[in-house]
Amino acid sequence: MSKMKKVLALLLIVVLTVSLGACKSSKKEEPKADVTTEDGEPAGEEVSESDGEYEFTEPVTIKFANYAVLEAGYDKFWEDVKKGFEEKYPNIKIEYMTAEYGQMLTQVVTWAGGGEIVDLVLGEIPWIPTLADAGLAVPVTDAFSEDYLSQIYPSMLEATNVDGVPYGIPMYASPFVMFYNKDLFEQAGLDPNAPPTTVAEMMEVAPKLAALKTADGNPVYPFGMTTGSVSVSGSCLTSLIYGFGGSVLDADGNLDVDNDGFKQTFEFIKELDDKGYNPQVSKLKDLRNLFALGQLGMYYDTSWGFNGVNSINSTAKEFIASAAPLSGGAGKGESLIQAHTFMMANNGEAQVEATKLLIKYILTEKVLAPYLQNVAPGYPSMSALSEIPAITESPVLSGALSSLNTAKGIANIPAINDFNIELTSLAQAVTVDNKDIDTAINDFKTSAGSILGN
Amino acid sequence: MQIKSGSLDSRKTKGGPLIKKTTKDKLFALALLTPSIIVTVMFILVPVFDSVIKSFQNYKIKNIIAKIPGEWNNFDNYVKLFSNNKLLPSIQLTLIFVGGVVLSQFILGMAMALVLNSNLKGARFIRSVMMAPWIVPTIISGLIWMWIYQPQYGLLKYVVNIFSFGNVSDFAMLNNPATALLGIAIAALWKQIPLTALLLVSGLANVPEETMEAATVDGANAVDRFFHITIPYMKSVIKVTASMAIIENFKQFPLIWTMTGGGPNNSTSTLAILSYREAFVSNNLGSGAAVTTVWMLLMIVVVVLFNFVFKDTNVD
Repeated sequence: MSKMKKVLALLLIVVLTVSLGACKSSKKEEPKADVTTEDGEPAGEEVSESDGEYEFTEPVTIKFANYAVLEAGYDKFWEDVKKGFEEKYPNIKIEYMTAEYGQMLTQVVTWAGGGEIVDLVLGEIPWIPTLADAGLAVPVTDAFSEDYLSQIYPSMLEATNVDGVPYGIPMYASPFVMFYNKDLFEQAGLDPNAPPTTVAEMMEVAPKLAALKTADGNPVYPFGMTTGSVSVSGSCLTSLIYGFGGSVLDADGNLDVDNDGFKQTFEFIKELDDKGYNPQVSKLKDLRNLFALGQLGMYYDTSWGFNGVNSINSTAKEFIASAAPLSGGAGKGESLIQAHTFMMANNGEAQVEATKLLIKYILTEKVLAPYLQNVAPGYPSMSALSEIPAITESPVLSGALSSLNTAKGIANIPAINDFNIELTSLAQAVTVDNKDIDTAINDFKTSAGSILGN
Repeated sequence: MQIKSGSLDSRKTKGGPLIKKTTKDKLFALALLTPSIIVTVMFILVPVFDSVIKSFQNYKIKNIIAKIPGEWNNFDNYVKLFSNNKLLPSIQLTLIFVGGVVLSQFILGMAMALVLNSNLKGARFIRSVMMAPWIVPTIISGLIWMWIYQPQYGLLKYVVNIFSFGNVSDFAMLNNPATALLGIAIAALWKQIPLTALLLVSGLANVPEETMEAATVDGANAVDRFFHITIPYMKSVIKVTASMAIIENFKQFPLIWTMTGGGPNNSTSTLAILSYREAFVSNNLGSGAAVTTVWMLLMIVVVVLFNFVFKDTNVD
């Protein structure tokens, strides 16, 4: 009996050991049917003739990394895109590969590490340098004609540049703009149709807003600037620095903070904090929350940030208005452009051609306009769509339309996200940590320089 | 020549097994251990060794994707970490966090265990209910505590406002560099104390009642009994419980990342946060590996010291 047990145990051990050895990827090669496409030529106004020349001799599946498919409110649009596109191009299928927004970039890299390189990624501009550096995104000039790329706003396309070459096709974009609450402006005796345009004007109206209370007795913050320890807060701070005429990085991605605009920005942030005008160490979601509840007079956000406000208070459309970012110091109110962008890999000619068709399909008025009107307010990247009612009649977009002309990008470097977090640390140092501005900036130079390898 | 029974030659002559029984047992034991050895080598030792090597290299994501080896850069990653004033503050914060949480966890867990071990009415019910925080996922715990600490409408702000008679109306635990780590430590304690208490309760069951009664008869008071009988009898359970707490808090990442992201102004940037930022936010895997190597060495030192302190777990 004991011998039997021993044999059984040994047998189990052998099975376990063998199964451990078998722990390796077993990638199945999908059989490719030899089918000729019925509709290889893309039809419709949105695809130029030269782009329709590729003939798909085999079915193609586009692997599309898209976090938005998991997000309520966005999911239906992307399912409709899949349905509409597959109907139009029967030999091309879309396979969504999803992960939660915060994990998407890491997930794309992990998939690639496992040998699965996705054809298309929908993401933010700061993702581009990482993907480009890893070889998971290719210059869009390799795939799209000059004629097609010229239809995109130059500032939006340039924002995707790595070493002077664009690596993304923006779907829609937004600079950081200023949202303000018209009802609170009225309550404070201010003109709801004349928001402040400069930092000085804003500081003049701020005490009137700070004196207000909500119906349930909560205080009203006049101005919200995000300084929470997340990358997007750093982008928003960069935008404010641009508004003061300052800079953070030069064109080569080196630290470039020895300028008045940079220092003035943090003096302004400190002043806001000293006067209790800005909710401390807040993330954008905190500001959206306060704005939705009528506790925030003005704040900086991207246009699609309105969705966060609207999800908390569905009547927000009635009191929200947008304005161009403030100008301070010697600045002219410039802003940092943000975009939801397509980044594509090169997985062979057929994959690239199919991916191109998909991008072009999405960037048509028929597909994109309802999205911008009903799903996520943003400025379309295709200049031909700038006058559509979804933009000109939107309370979220119309007021800040002019900011598109002055918005610009930032040098795309692989460590941009960490650099942005370090920028928030600087804002926290001069506010909640009460550090002297010059000392805090010097500390920032050491840590940020190390991140950048300067 | 006399042939000893049991020797190889004797077995040969008697037609017995070729291998000794003890050798056979050893081989059988080795066979049973084989999967564990393979798993340990493959999934622990090799990655650790690989990580240490990469800490001396310029190793980025593109190296993984393109399957090209990292470029050897000697101690550059370590020099960078020490020169940018990030590593030493992170080590300090990690030690403060681990020390503070483990000590508080033990004291509060033991207090709770003693209460639960008494004849308190409802102790059995409390014992089952108190495990709730432990089964809540760490990220959810972080979010719950963020809401409690929320600076505009959080519960803590309200409570502080009431108890300070309106003098402190803007208490924001996580926004202040002086209190942010404490705020995370409280959340960590809330989550970890139940398990500690449960383990210690099981240890209390090992304390013989007759010894306690004898000590009482001899005039020992409750404090004497606790320090001279209860604690020595529980030493092995305490050792395991404390080891688990040290490891859990040394590698604490999700709670800190969710609640503060290492801020404000890097006041909660422990080694776990620094490692993540270097490797996955800065996309510098070599530098991240350097932090991890320092982290691992520090953990080894702490565990060795801990084992040295708890060397003798036997009760005389």
